[in-house]
Amino acid sequence: MQTTAHPVAAAAPKPAVKCEVKDLRFYYKQYEALKGIGLPLYDKRVTAFIGPSGCGKSTLLRVLNRIYELYPDQRATGEVLVDGHNILDPGQDLNLLRAKIGMVFQKPTPFPMSIYDNVAFGIRLYQRLRSRELDERVEEALQRAALWNEVKDKLRQSGLSLSGGQQQRLCIARAIAVKPEILLLDEPASALDPISTQRIEELIAELKSDYCIVIVTHNMQQAARSSDYTAFMYLGALVEFDETETIFTHPGQKQTEDYITGRFG
Amino acid sequence: MTIAMVARHDRQRLWDLLFRNATRAFAILVLLLLGGVMVALGVGAWPAFAHFGPGFLTSMAWNPVKDEYGALPAIFGTLATSAIAMLIGVPLALGVAVFLTELCPPFLRRPIGTMIELLAGIPSIIYGIWGLFVLAPFLQETVQPVLIDTLGNIPLIGLLFEGPPLGLGILTAGFILAMMVLPFITAVTRDVFLTVPPMLRESAYGLGATTSEVVRDIVVPYTRTGIIGGVMLGLGRALGETMAVTFVIGNAHEIHTSLLAPGTTISATLANEFTEAVTPLYVSSLFALGFILFVITFLVLAAAKYMLIRLQRQAGT
Amino acid sequence: MISMGRYARRRVANRLWLAASMAATALGLIFLFLVLYALLRNGIPAISGTLFTTSTPPPGSAGGLANAIYGSLIMTIVATLVGTPVGMLTGTFLSEFGKGSVLASVVRFVNDILLSAPSIIIGLFVYQIVVVPMGHFSAWAGSAALALIVIPVVVRTTENMLELVPHGLREAAAALGTPQWRVIVQVIYRAAMQGILTGVMLAVARIAGETAPLLFTALNNQFWSANMNAPIANLPVVIFQFALSPYDDWRTLAWGGAMLITFTILILNVLARMLAGWSSRTP
Repeated sequence: MQTTAHPVAAAAPKPAVKCEVKDLRFYYKQYEALKGIGLPLYDKRVTAFIGPSGCGKSTLLRVLNRIYELYPDQRATGEVLVDGHNILDPGQDLNLLRAKIGMVFQKPTPFPMSIYDNVAFGIRLYQRLRSRELDERVEEALQRAALWNEVKDKLRQSGLSLSGGQQQRLCIARAIAVKPEILLLDEPASALDPISTQRIEELIAELKSDYCIVIVTHNMQQAARSSDYTAFMYLGALVEFDETETIFTHPGQKQTEDYITGRFG
Repeated sequence: MTIAMVARHDRQRLWDLLFRNATRAFAILVLLLLGGVMVALGVGAWPAFAHFGPGFLTSMAWNPVKDEYGALPAIFGTLATSAIAMLIGVPLALGVAVFLTELCPPFLRRPIGTMIELLAGIPSIIYGIWGLFVLAPFLQETVQPVLIDTLGNIPLIGLLFEGPPLGLGILTAGFILAMMVLPFITAVTRDVFLTVPPMLRESAYGLGATTSEVVRDIVVPYTRTGIIGGVMLGLGRALGETMAVTFVIGNAHEIHTSLLAPGTTISATLANEFTEAVTPLYVSSLFALGFILFVITFLVLAAAKYMLIRLQRQAGT
Repeated sequence: MISMGRYARRRVANRLWLAASMAATALGLIFLFLVLYALLRNGIPAISGTLFTTSTPPPGSAGGLANAIYGSLIMTIVATLVGTPVGMLTGTFLSEFGKGSVLASVVRFVNDILLSAPSIIIGLFVYQIVVVPMGHFSAWAGSAALALIVIPVVVRTTENMLELVPHGLREAAAALGTPQWRVIVQVIYRAAMQGILTGVMLAVARIAGETAPLLFTALNNQFWSANMNAPIANLPVVIFQFALSPYDDWRTLAWGGAMLITFTILILNVLARMLAGWSSRTP
């Protein structure tokens, strides 16, 4: 099933397309895990990938920053155009790509160093800043991640000393400290308690004014609450892509409707 | 993305390459080390092998004055002491492993396990002086006379126990080695015992088997390859042990049927005589002994490693 | 249907076997305590102020072990400083870069053989490649032999500890655009550092007592010497020489040295275990 769908023209001016996926196929060895995906990702909007377990939503997300390149048996074909430039091109430098496209994972992964060093880590990779400038950048990132007030007095303590929800916000701060243009979130709240989850969702709503955000979630209500556009995937194919409101109120495909209404998990 | 950022980034790629190649270079160095050992030993040993020919391996001579040397007493001693060490040490080690995995109350497991591992940490030379000053006199006064009087009178077996009780000798060295290999075999055996799926054990207990039956009929067959691997690892250690053996073996280039007689091993000979060796042929003969020891240990260790790898594959790790 | 006679026999057999295994364990523990007791009983008389301040005496006079302690310390330090980086880098190759490659499998195999190889063979090897070209015995040669024993231990521990670092950490670092060498050096090493340090401590504990590799590399020296380019006194070889001698004060010193070495090693082992245990408790 190959569907390349564009949302129906809304009343508001159409947002810019930050990233365009064209005929993307993904393989684990010989197994085709993604079958010809095509969709746009809009700037300063939140796009959610939803679908049952194993549908390929995380796989698709991980193509966008080519993190799969860490594993030799995985490969992708097709095109992923970011600002017009195909990032799947073999000549594409991966580290520079990942400076532009940040990722936050399902399980919080603070580095074994202080909170300050965690956030500064990415900045230090690319820029040599004076310590005052670095302090400002770190504070800015922690502020935007809604963590500053809780950690400002203990920046030198280990990142591992924070609670689960705080650790995840630390990882978000770390990702946005390098000022990426696209932010990929792979089930960012699934390992967290409901209160932390809510804070993360509020954070996403604030961050979207500056970034193109893509979020993978198995929680449909979260997708409905947080995203502007939704892609529903099933067995490696894109079934439907549209504005979130449309998907959740009058979906075009029966399969989408079945999933939304809980007829299958 | 500024130009400065890109430039800094390009330097990183250089570092990436350097780091990766540095690690590979050192890994190859480890390989070269083993090759180097074989070559160095071979080069040192060659004059002796060339001079004495294959007879070197079967000759019992050892005469520095006449410059005549043969490897047989040393090889015999090495094999005999190791055999005794295995005969005593393996059952003991298995017993300890069974105790730790089946019988021992959980709160004692860690302390007792640690104490057994501390046996492995005690250096060879400490076992040597303990053996010389504590164990040997004890054996000489208490155990050996008993052995001579009882087992020494049985035909055939008696040959193993004749001669004066010296306290030193092949048997004593074997005892000490047994204590030294015990912790190694125990550690490996305990680890492989723990890989037995609980389901398997529970099924056996569920049929009414006793603990020792479960161990004998389920656990040991399941982990057989691993146990053999551990035993061979212990054997590799026993073959190469130097200082403990040197103190208690009596250092005589002789072969006797009696276990109570003195003898020598390859490593003990090297430890005692290398710095005293005056002629080039003497030195080369010692190198030849070292070469032989290296070949024997290499074969045993390679076999042990092979078995342990097979067990890992079988367990699916 | 159930033969009670047979069952009774089985129960007795079971009790016997289990008693045997308990006896085996008791035997092992008894040996440990016998050795430690002998060390304490014979070694404590050697403890005095002069043990650490005077050098080894000629037979028949009083003295200490200062030169031997110094020699052992300095060679252990050099061997650790040289062997640890080599071992860590090789272990890094095996864990991070060599996955699945034939080279890595061969290196791992060879490393495990070197790990258990007789240390006297290492001594012979270093004799050939260091002592012979130099023309004389030296502390450098002794350190080299000890370093060759440190390396396989550190390789093994490093590889195991690096493998234990969760993949998520690697991915998170890579997702920031971190070059691979930085991911390893700045993130992975830090995460595995406790385990690697434990391995280094165990390696040090091992070489602290090694005699055979020093017998024909560093040899021995009756006097105080800090010259790395000459034979140097060291505890194990001094113990070897003194214990086998007929002189009482030499023998006492030998026991004293033996006690020093053993308890240092035991403390290192216990510390290493505590370090490892502690790291497994942090989240």
